[in-house]
Amino acid sequence: MWEFWVRSLNASTIFTVAALGEIIGQRAGIMNVGVEGAMLFGATISFIVAKVTGNYLLGFLAGIAVGALIGLLHAFFSVTLGGDQVVNGMGIWILGFGLTAYIGYPYTGPLGLPRLPAIAGLSPFFLASLALAAGIWFFLFKTHPGLKLRSVGENPSVAEVSGINVVRTRYASVMFSGALMGFAGSIYALDYNPVWNYNFLMGWGFIALALVFFSMWNPFLLLGGSILFGALWQVSLNPEALLPNIFSRYIWRTFPFVITIIVLVLMSTKWFSSRWGAARPEALGLPYEK
Amino acid sequence: MGVFMTDEIKHGDVILEARGITKRYPGLVANDHVDFEIRAGEIHAVLGENGAGKTTLMSILFGLVRPDEGEIYVFGKKVNFRSPLDAIKLGIGMVHQTRKLVQAHTVLENILLGHPNTGLILDFKKAAEDVARLCDRYEYKLNLNDKVWHLSEGEKQMVEILKALYRGARILIMDEPTSSLAPPETKKLLETIQIMTKDELAIVPFITHKLPVVLSVSQRVTVLRRGKVVARLNTHEATEQLLAREMVGREVMFNLERVQVERGKAVLEVQNLSVYDEKGMKAVEDVSFSVHEGEIFGIAGVSGNGQQPLAEALAGLRKAAEGKVLLDGSEITHLSSMERWKKGIGYIPSEQRAVGSIGDFSLVENILMSYYYDDEFCRRGVIDAKKIRARAEALVAEYGVAAPNVDVLAKNLSGGNLQKLILARVLSRQPRLIIANLPTQGLDVGATEFVQNKLLEAKKAGAAILLISEDLDEVLALSDRIAPMYEGRFMDILPGGEAEREIVGALMAGIRQKAAEQ
Repeated sequence: MWEFWVRSLNASTIFTVAALGEIIGQRAGIMNVGVEGAMLFGATISFIVAKVTGNYLLGFLAGIAVGALIGLLHAFFSVTLGGDQVVNGMGIWILGFGLTAYIGYPYTGPLGLPRLPAIAGLSPFFLASLALAAGIWFFLFKTHPGLKLRSVGENPSVAEVSGINVVRTRYASVMFSGALMGFAGSIYALDYNPVWNYNFLMGWGFIALALVFFSMWNPFLLLGGSILFGALWQVSLNPEALLPNIFSRYIWRTFPFVITIIVLVLMSTKWFSSRWGAARPEALGLPYEK
Repeated sequence: MGVFMTDEIKHGDVILEARGITKRYPGLVANDHVDFEIRAGEIHAVLGENGAGKTTLMSILFGLVRPDEGEIYVFGKKVNFRSPLDAIKLGIGMVHQTRKLVQAHTVLENILLGHPNTGLILDFKKAAEDVARLCDRYEYKLNLNDKVWHLSEGEKQMVEILKALYRGARILIMDEPTSSLAPPETKKLLETIQIMTKDELAIVPFITHKLPVVLSVSQRVTVLRRGKVVARLNTHEATEQLLAREMVGREVMFNLERVQVERGKAVLEVQNLSVYDEKGMKAVEDVSFSVHEGEIFGIAGVSGNGQQPLAEALAGLRKAAEGKVLLDGSEITHLSSMERWKKGIGYIPSEQRAVGSIGDFSLVENILMSYYYDDEFCRRGVIDAKKIRARAEALVAEYGVAAPNVDVLAKNLSGGNLQKLILARVLSRQPRLIIANLPTQGLDVGATEFVQNKLLEAKKAGAAILLISEDLDEVLALSDRIAPMYEGRFMDILPGGEAEREIVGALMAGIRQKAAEQ
């Protein structure tokens, strides 16, 4: 049982870090549906760098950097060019999917480095993700830059007349957001599942995206959601351990995704928006034009 | 914080002076050598019609626009604003007409947003104490931890004022400060700003109409017309007539002739109507009334109390959730807007540019929108271009739409002219029922007068008119019966001739008690 929970918490770490990134971006008004793409880039590049140099730290730094770069690209399209954020996000996903398959192919297989240390099986990154969630909550709700960031996502024209540089704030937020997604990908590729394979992320980015809505853009609620989905994921991999012989394992595999779809559909209903709509950043997805 | 440092500035000191401000736009001189000064501790109103150059002057004083010529001095020092931040630093605060607040954030967060000296981590406790002290000083009660979207319009405006003061503003520029307020809130605002002038703050309201407000509180008035200062007066020397004449450049009739028409049979009957708004909230609740031939039925209310969804539901643009709507005795609750037009409903929407017209269409095409389904102008789906053109030309002439020809695009018309065009289109179909939704909002004195007279003409001709307005004076002047609307309900239905301003005003703000006592 301990092993099941350890695997669940380790999986939740990756959801948490990626979704925290998405929360930062969305709180500033920029939606990036290409979380999966940014994570694939982070995972693949960090894997290659770590494998070639034999250095974990370099691997992580490379994963974070490439994530930030993807964020920069997304910011350029959605802030400077004012393009459709969903379309561009899909573009990032498709690009990540195709390009990482191509770049990573020669490195297929295990990482071949000694595993990172763990505490009774629990990854230290899990603790880091808790600290990160608390830190981001504090930043968003207790600091002036955090207030500025949220204002830019709620109503950029108000932020502008209050003397805030909307463009700069959005660029910084989206780049930081991308960096976290890249970091989440790196944790996946270097710690959680250090075996590179074609499309080895298998949709985790999309679950992270759904978790942002699920969490009402709140880092602490997100932690709960991540752990729930981490556990669901483990159940879907090993249904026999908990509930033997109910469904075929292939049906279990779809569970996290079915729940993701249900959550996203519920979140987009009138019923939801009339009750909880106030949590959604008002300017989310809208390009800002003076 | 600057607010308490009143020693250095003496009452009546000139704290801002603008000399020879000129701003040209292609084909237009928005400000033509405007001289203007603001003294400490005064309320100095700036008056002008739309297009008189008020907005330009305001933007220049706040650093949003740079003048082509002229100089600005603040506290005797020449300044050169590059952005609003420069103006804010020198103690100029702006209270916008449309609220510049983050709805989802608290009052305190809004006040703190962008403040230069907050430091990285926000000290909410200290800030709350400072702001509470300001509130006390100006005798205003406000819960600083409320989310802004819970507040009334008047409270939201106060948040903006506090935000400016907290940043150390000595001069408050206010754009149409009373236009979105219910009468009790207007009264409260005027009291508050009068207290502020005792601290030698200068208040500069920019106003298009609402001349009584100007007269009741300001010490001085500057009147702009076509970019020039045409009058500079001490308020006690001015009258409403005089100010209006200076603004418009001719005599303006203030007392609309109350036309008495025999009230005919009911045209529109509304029974227990409820309507949801786009957020899924019940915006109109259980409303019942009727509008008769030769009657103007006025709905008075502050913006956002359900008037818009009600108007849209009656025009067929929004579904009715419950209740019935009858036109001339037959039910129309579920008819489309087109079917309603054909049955004789004419809708004058509040959003002239978004709903009332198509900006990229010519005047002819815009007129055509109310004619294309008519066999006289459209035979077997083919439009009779000659006929519709002749009709458009006739209407443009009759309604005095200022346009070089009927082929110009609607988006190039000014607000007043566009409203005349929409009026021409709707009224020329001689509707049985006219739904006039904020017909004079944003129009200047001249255009307002025109629109109101057209509605009275239609009434004389026997039309039933539903007038929705946020301007209490307008509702009182025009309506035969008045329904004050608050939070989706009619507070009462009062006879127009005798309705007292205070009672209707209180009902609009949801205060029923006062009315009951009197």
